[in-house]
Amino acid sequence: MNTGRFETLAEAFGGDVARWPVREREAAAQLMLARPDWASRVLADAAALDTQLKTFAAPRGTRGLADGIVAGAPSPRRAGWMAWLLPVGMGAGLAAASVAGFAVGLQITTRNDPTIEATSTVAALIDDDFGFEADEDV
Amino acid sequence: MGDPDEELLVRVAHGDPASVRALVARKLPRLLSLAGRMLGDAAAAEDVAQEVFLRVWKQAPRWRPGAARFDTWLHRVALNLCYDRLRRRRELSYAEPPDRPDEGPGPDRGLDAVDTGRRVSAAMQTLPDRQREAIVLCHYQELGNIEAAAVMGVSVEALESLLGRGRRTLRTALADLRG
Repeated sequence: MNTGRFETLAEAFGGDVARWPVREREAAAQLMLARPDWASRVLADAAALDTQLKTFAAPRGTRGLADGIVAGAPSPRRAGWMAWLLPVGMGAGLAAASVAGFAVGLQITTRNDPTIEATSTVAALIDDDFGFEADEDV
Repeated sequence: MGDPDEELLVRVAHGDPASVRALVARKLPRLLSLAGRMLGDAAAAEDVAQEVFLRVWKQAPRWRPGAARFDTWLHRVALNLCYDRLRRRRELSYAEPPDRPDEGPGPDRGLDAVDTGRRVSAAMQTLPDRQREAIVLCHYQELGNIEAAAVMGVSVEALESLLGRGRRTLRTALADLRG
């Protein structure tokens, strides 16, 4: 790295070499060792602007902002809740139990009242907690 | 390198209340920082943050892990909303020129950090948008050059140029503050 490149990087990224592009840091460090006084001056000059920039504080957000944002999030979805269990290995079991419950529920419903459409059973099971209640009855 | 937000986002997608709160706690300060510095207006920054989160809630179930880092996407969405506001602000100012902005105390008065911050804020707002965006992403949001360039959709060389030009302008504008 030559001195011009070092100055360009200080101008762009500031006086903290740790904030410079990763691939340039090693070469910059070597130049700093070779020309410590010059490098210190360049970095100090850039750091002075960094210090000024830090005085431009970010807004903190008014009271209630975070709560309002959280309140705007969708409510937990039942299907999603089951899907969330998948990573811990429970989802597959629940899904299988739900399918079994659906099948049994369909048979029972059809046997008791053949006039009831199968689709109504399907709708009832979907509205339920994934067939948990039907599973317990089985 | 994996996306540090991915696991949290999966839970948010399924409406887990604790994860929703955790995501807001993690990202709201970053969004306020980004929009606040881009717009120089705390109230507008809050509006942008709220709009970004509405998009997050809507998009989370459709998030595709590995397609992009969530934080990169979040920054891009927030910046787009900032640019919408900047555009509307300019349209308004053409029709109705604003009063000259307060550039801080007179020369007889000492400057404290708050005064300096106001001067820096005013100087930042005079920068061309892309130069300001580059400085906000690299200096305030502390994104690396590759990630910042990705957010801006430019090469790392172009990013470096925008940073250099922006900082030179700021240095000149703030020269009187240096002892």
